[in-house]
Amino acid sequence: MGEAAPSEVTQIAAATNSQDPEVGLAAVAALRGLVEVLEALQVANARAKGWSWRQIAARLGVTKQAVHHKYAARRFGFRR
Amino acid sequence: VVQHSEHARRVLDLASKEAERLGHRYLGPEHLVLGMLRDGRGQASRVLEANGVSLAAARAELRRLAERGWWLLGGRATPSCWERSGSTWTRSGVRPSKAFGGTAVGWAVREATRARRRGVGRVPRTPLRDPPMLISQVLYRAGQQARALGIGVIGPELLLWGVVTDIQTPWPRCMNNRWRRQLHASVGLPRNYRGAAGPLLGALGVDLDQLREAVTVGLSGVRP
Repeated sequence: MGEAAPSEVTQIAAATNSQDPEVGLAAVAALRGLVEVLEALQVANARAKGWSWRQIAARLGVTKQAVHHKYAARRFGFRR
Repeated sequence: VVQHSEHARRVLDLASKEAERLGHRYLGPEHLVLGMLRDGRGQASRVLEANGVSLAAARAELRRLAERGWWLLGGRATPSCWERSGSTWTRSGVRPSKAFGGTAVGWAVREATRARRRGVGRVPRTPLRDPPMLISQVLYRAGQQARALGIGVIGPELLLWGVVTDIQTPWPRCMNNRWRRQLHASVGLPRNYRGAAGPLLGALGVDLDQLREAVTVGLSGVRP
């Protein structure tokens, strides 16, 4: 499974400032891909530790319904 | 069940290293050819070198083809740090798999990238995932030939056979689907990408029929 170096994360973040759409859009897509995976990991971890949807939602800055809608149906396969 | 030999796996490893070296975010048949040459052992590389393909020449040619935009999107390879970091940033540093374990990261990647009905939070690709291997047809053809010859293990020479057959056979229509086009676009390939081994070997002046002949002779020699 892949990893991401901090320096390269900042490099990609810097590339989102690029005036060249080809570079900028690719960087944005990469960051979004990274963020989605990290969010899923953290939500699964929080649920495994017994956090409520309301607590998770407060940290993520969205409503509890939104987090539940997005993650409740996902099978937290590695937890069980 | 047909399995890959240790040797073939090493060739695949070398191929993905070659792809990374060139800054490509995918693994295609053209990288397999480079991997065989870099391995330098066994039937496959001998046949290739007998047909006048050397590692340096093939690398230079592939680089030239990529720069000329033979198959890369937008008619040019993307410059700047992005193209390079796109493949190497999956190497070291912040380690989600260290904190949460490889299984958990694998699950999260799968969950984030899988198609879902309401489409909430779906991403086509993530840099936490290894580059996609666009060599399914090569492996399929190699396996088919292995079964036909009654060989239980796929070696590099069968992979080369697969590459040549892949060039000479049009891809089945089922390979042209929405998911595949999206996959190609996400790694900077045109939607009608069908492997660049054909243009590569063509530019190096290789006669495909002759190459196929040589590999076939080697294969029947291998046959017990």
